[in-house]
Amino acid sequence: MPDRPILVAVVLAAALAISGWRFYRVFRPVLSAPGEYRFDELWERFVGVLSNVGLHKRLLKIRYSGVLHALIFSSFIVLFTAILQAFGSGLFPGFSLAPIGGNTWIAGAQELFTVLILIGLGMALYQRVVIKPKRFEGSNKLDALLIYALVFGVVATMTLEFAFHIAAGDDSSAAWRPIAATIAGWLTAAGFSGESAEAGATFFYWAHILVILGFLIYIPGSKHRHMFTAVPNIFLRSMKPKGTLPKADLDHPPIGVQEIGQFHWKHKLDMLSCTECGRCQAACPAYAAGQPLSPKKLIMDLRDHMVAVDHGHSDGVVDLVGGVISEQTLWACTTCRACMEVCPIHIEHVPKIVEMRRTMVEDGRVSPLLQDALGKLQQYGNSFGKPPRQRAKWTKELSFKIKDARKEPVDILWFVGDYASYDPRVQRITVKVAETLNAAGVDFGILMDGEQNSGNDVRRVGEEGLFETLAQSNIDAIAACDFKRIVTTDPHSLNALRQEYGAFGGDFEVLHYTQLLDELIGQGRLKLARGEGATVTYHDPCYLGRYNGGFDAPRNLIAKAGYTLHEMGRCRENSFCCGAGGGRIWQDEEGITERPSENRIKEALGLGDATLFVVACPKDTVMYTAAVQNLGVEDRITVRDVIDLIEVAQA
Amino acid sequence: MRVVVVLRLVPDLTEELEIDESGTDIDREWIGIKLNEFDDHALEEAVLLKEGSGATVTALALDGEGVDRMLQSAIARGADAAVKVEHGMEHIPDQRTAAAILAGAIKELGADLILTGVQTPEDVFGQLAPFLAAHLDMPTVNAVGGVSADGDNAVDVRQEYSGGMSAILGVTLPAVLGIQTASQPPRYVSGSKLRQAMSAEIATLSGADAGAATGAEITGLQEPERGDGATMFDGDAETVAGKIVDVLNERGLLGG
Repeated sequence: MPDRPILVAVVLAAALAISGWRFYRVFRPVLSAPGEYRFDELWERFVGVLSNVGLHKRLLKIRYSGVLHALIFSSFIVLFTAILQAFGSGLFPGFSLAPIGGNTWIAGAQELFTVLILIGLGMALYQRVVIKPKRFEGSNKLDALLIYALVFGVVATMTLEFAFHIAAGDDSSAAWRPIAATIAGWLTAAGFSGESAEAGATFFYWAHILVILGFLIYIPGSKHRHMFTAVPNIFLRSMKPKGTLPKADLDHPPIGVQEIGQFHWKHKLDMLSCTECGRCQAACPAYAAGQPLSPKKLIMDLRDHMVAVDHGHSDGVVDLVGGVISEQTLWACTTCRACMEVCPIHIEHVPKIVEMRRTMVEDGRVSPLLQDALGKLQQYGNSFGKPPRQRAKWTKELSFKIKDARKEPVDILWFVGDYASYDPRVQRITVKVAETLNAAGVDFGILMDGEQNSGNDVRRVGEEGLFETLAQSNIDAIAACDFKRIVTTDPHSLNALRQEYGAFGGDFEVLHYTQLLDELIGQGRLKLARGEGATVTYHDPCYLGRYNGGFDAPRNLIAKAGYTLHEMGRCRENSFCCGAGGGRIWQDEEGITERPSENRIKEALGLGDATLFVVACPKDTVMYTAAVQNLGVEDRITVRDVIDLIEVAQA
Repeated sequence: MRVVVVLRLVPDLTEELEIDESGTDIDREWIGIKLNEFDDHALEEAVLLKEGSGATVTALALDGEGVDRMLQSAIARGADAAVKVEHGMEHIPDQRTAAAILAGAIKELGADLILTGVQTPEDVFGQLAPFLAAHLDMPTVNAVGGVSADGDNAVDVRQEYSGGMSAILGVTLPAVLGIQTASQPPRYVSGSKLRQAMSAEIATLSGADAGAATGAEITGLQEPERGDGATMFDGDAETVAGKIVDVLNERGLLGG
């Protein structure tokens, strides 16, 4: 057929043009977006792509889905050779992969992966239609099914084309194509041979080409864009420390993001890359609590709005907050980072939410409870509305005189935090930490009334101006002291001091108190009396674990104190937030059907043998103590801070 | 419409108050100070008038410690200008004296409507608005719960009466209003706006000599006496809570 190259070229050019135009229309908002530098640490970026794409590190955390994705993904790579062969031979008569094994091992591999991709597709279909994981709720099912059909079409037409070739007498690769050869046997039996088989081969050649090109044209409008965007999206991920939020330029309002066009290009690439897999939704404590937040829906809604605005179909909706995303949705987030930790393509949900919260705060659109807390923070530097002079009042309970780090040099500067200082439910823990450090002979002191709220949650609520004021005040107070390292009781303070203050001139070495105690035991400076050996479970606080990698020190302390740790299913990186983070502790509970803290206590009770629920965060003590009371299970489980397990051995 | 809103700093009641050596005043050495809550509402109402009918708002206060910051946050809220009045006194003794000095400044500034809080913890009878009105020879309405402009020369004000009734009064300007509540709760002013306002300029006026306009003099200050009918529980929160539960139990007030 002499005119085939021209036909193929014309069809290919037309399809590429249409697909290219569709891609351009979808990606146009990315091209015109504000800048963001994401080209540092190239090697680290590359390694991340290898492990996340090549090894499916995050995908395999849900084994069934991970395996089926690996099957389809690897098959796509192998079957690309068949696509190359189809278009190469179509455009350039005589083109063949035969010289490098196109009729031998490559043919064999294509057959093998044809089987694998069909298994993968079958698993995907079964998952989508029969298993129906809750995380798919809200995803576009039709899109997914269409993709399965197209992929099946690509593979089926390819195999049938090969089968007809074999039936027509071209058996050069038949030995390596057992499936095509078998089908060819059926075709021969059905009467296909010679010219009729050649015609069949030609028919399926075109069918193959057209399905592939149809796929290519369909993709720009489908979640299957991720075939092209996943690798760049992972490569261009944020390499900043996990607990560092982007700064807002306070001198140049507007602060925060009001309109979709203000999101920088990487935020927009995130939106276009979302695969709607719903892992974020399944991990989200707000979603589990029945609140109107699904990280997946949030990204999808932003994406659809972005494309609609670009295409002029947005019906005049301009405001993101209250327009595209409801205020309740934005306030529901605890900033626990569970969504970002599980996202296979590293979408950054939390920074987007904080950017939109900044807009609400600047407009004064805050709930009465939050306004009250922020007002107190403005006035007193703590959310309790207590006078700064009462911050160190808890020290009256101590058996020794604590040092004022502002007046004399200390080895360890202890940043106590709001809850540990003011909340009567937590002061007991604070006193015990102080007594333990004193018993270990640690030279430490505190800032007294020179300390203010660290601002970690203030920043996450979107109150950037107040955060900077608090941070600057603390940095000035800390910098005026003579010390070597800082220790915090509160993981939220730990995060602010360790990861946020650097950008404001406060570069300090900061430890959580569990890390310091673990270190002291290791050095033999702190000797523990072994406890009664109860079985306990441990809850990883978001800002100690996921954000700051502090997984091991609390566990070491539990073991060294003589307790047996029975882990909950959701532990370490997969820990389930108590529901207090990101300023949630200052908000009301409207719309919550099950408190995340109660959900978590039930998980611990499900272990059967854990009698203590051990935490390492003052807010956890408050949240979980309340949860245990609300559930009425005080007789079955007790909330304890790690420090409560520590008994110093009498010399 | 030119609105002047008079703001006052008052002792922060979250702190424990102590009587000073003279026995006629609280110890102000260590006490925290904050914007009077009713003045906060007056400021909000002024800004709402500005947003609703294009008034210009000037925040006015007697000079003193912390006044600059208070006036700057008024600008962050939406006031167009801030003015403080120098008076040469260490502490303003009473509202009558304050009114005399402020009235001079208001005459100098020129105003169609003067708003201030209905009362303060130190002026529970709400004297400032009527004293100002007397000095300025203007009509006054006190305990106002919302103001709306009625043309350029009049306002409608809502005044709450007992028994759940409220009246709408038409007031011809110029006038002095003592605000009890703004039409909507004072808005949240973000930290970034406060930071920007930190560099806002505050104009200074020198106050007229208050002369003989002295008000009532405090001859003695004392803590409230404990009545016989009440039982006070001492101790930390847990102990007190325990005692309360005991009492409720004793009197059979707990269900179950």
